[in-house]
Amino acid sequence: MEGELLTVIIVVATALAFDFTNGFHDTANVVATSISTRAMAPRLAVGYAAILNFVGAFISLKVAATVASDVVNPEDITLLVVFSGLVGAIAWNLTTWYFGLPSSSSHALIGGIVGAMLVANGPDAIFFETGIIGKVMLPAVVAPTLAFIVGGAAILVLYRIVGRLRPRPVTSGFRGGQVISGGLLALAHGTNDAQKTMGVIALALVAYGSLPASDPTPPTWVVVSAAAAIAMGTYAGGWRIIKTMGSRIHKMDSAQGFAAQGAGAAVILASTHGGFPLSTTHTISGAVIGSGAAKRLSAVRWGVAGNIVAAWIVTLPAAAAIGALAYAVTRLFGTGAAGPLVVSVLMVLGSVLLFSKRARHGPVVARAEA
Amino acid sequence: MFATVDWDALLTVIWSALVAGIVVPAAYGFVILGTTRALDLGRQGRAGEAAVYAVIGTVGAAAVVAAIIFGIVVLSAK
Repeated sequence: MEGELLTVIIVVATALAFDFTNGFHDTANVVATSISTRAMAPRLAVGYAAILNFVGAFISLKVAATVASDVVNPEDITLLVVFSGLVGAIAWNLTTWYFGLPSSSSHALIGGIVGAMLVANGPDAIFFETGIIGKVMLPAVVAPTLAFIVGGAAILVLYRIVGRLRPRPVTSGFRGGQVISGGLLALAHGTNDAQKTMGVIALALVAYGSLPASDPTPPTWVVVSAAAAIAMGTYAGGWRIIKTMGSRIHKMDSAQGFAAQGAGAAVILASTHGGFPLSTTHTISGAVIGSGAAKRLSAVRWGVAGNIVAAWIVTLPAAAAIGALAYAVTRLFGTGAAGPLVVSVLMVLGSVLLFSKRARHGPVVARAEA
Repeated sequence: MFATVDWDALLTVIWSALVAGIVVPAAYGFVILGTTRALDLGRQGRAGEAAVYAVIGTVGAAAVVAAIIFGIVVLSAK
C-alpha cells in the first residue's frame, strides 16, 4: 500500500505538472490577440488571464466528469496508465511549444491516456464511439469550424455597425472591449481546461480506490490544486506560441481581436455547458483565422494556418504513441513506484534540455512584443 | 457509428455559440456606435440626436452585461 501511495503522489504531481504546461502552452490562446492589438501590456494580460483561469476552474465540473468516465473505462484504469498518459501529453506539449505550434493540450492528454490504455488493457477498455468519436473527434471538427464561422460573422457585423465612425474611438473602444472578451476567454479556458486535469486526477484516485468508479467527482483539494497549477502555468506564459497566435496567422486590428476572443469564449463556454472537452487551442485558432478571412482571404497566412492544422491532426496519435511507449518503459520496472520515478526523472531532464536550448535564443518576452 | 453521439447537446452548443458569439459582440458594437455618435453630436449642439445615440449605447451596454451574467449563471448552475 505504501508503494501505491508513492505512485499516486507521483501521478498527482505529474498531473499538476501537465496542468502547468497546459496553462503555459495555452496562455497564447487567451492573451495573444490582446497583446498583438495593444489592448493590454503583455505582463498585465498574462497576469489577468492567470487570475481568471483560476476563477474559471471553479465554475463547472461537467468536462471533468467526461474525461473521468466517458473516454476510457474507469474500472480498467490503473495508476501506471494515468501516469503514462500524462507523460505522453506533457512530452507532446513541450515538443509543440519548442516549435511554437499552438496544438491541443486536451487532445494530447486524451491521446496519451488512450495510448497507454491500449497497451495496458487492449481496445475493449476504450469507449471509441461514445467517448473518442462523440466527445472528442466530433467536437474537434465542430468547434474550430463553428469558431471560424462565428468569428467571421461577428467581424462582418461589427464592421457594418462601426464602419462609418472615426477610427480612433473605434480602436480604443474595441481595445476596451478586449479587456472584457479576453477576460471571458480566460474564464472559459479555466472552466474547460483545468477540468481535464481534475478528471485525470479523479481517474488516478479511482485506480487508487479512494473514489468510486461509479461517481468519480473530484474532491475540493483536486479542484483547488488544478486551478492553481493552470493559473501558475498561465502566468509563466508561453511567449513563442503567443507570437504565432498574435501576429503570424494575420495582423489583427482591435475589432478583429475582439470578435475572435468573443467567438472563442462563446464556443468554449457553450461546449463546457454541454460537457464536451473541446480543444481551446483549436477553437481560438479557428476564431482568429475566421476574423481574418472574413475581412480579406489573403490577409491570412495560410501556410502558418496549415502548419497549425497539421499539428492538430498529429496530436492525438503522437501523444498516444508517446503514452504507449511510456507505459511500456514504466512496466519494465514492474507495477510499483520505480517505473514512474525513473520516467519522471527522464522527463524532467528532457524538459530542462528543451528549456535551456530555447533560453539561448534571447529574452522571449521582448520577442513576443516585437 | 454516429448513433451514440449526443446530437441534442451538440446542436445546443452550435446554436448557443452562434447566438452568443455574434449577438454579444454586435451589442458591444452598438455601445461604441452610441457613445461615439452621442459625444460627436453633443459637441455640435444636436442634443436630441445625441440623446438617441446615448440610449442606443446604454441599451447595448446593458445587453452585454446581461449576457455575460446570464452565461456565467447558466454555467455554474450545472
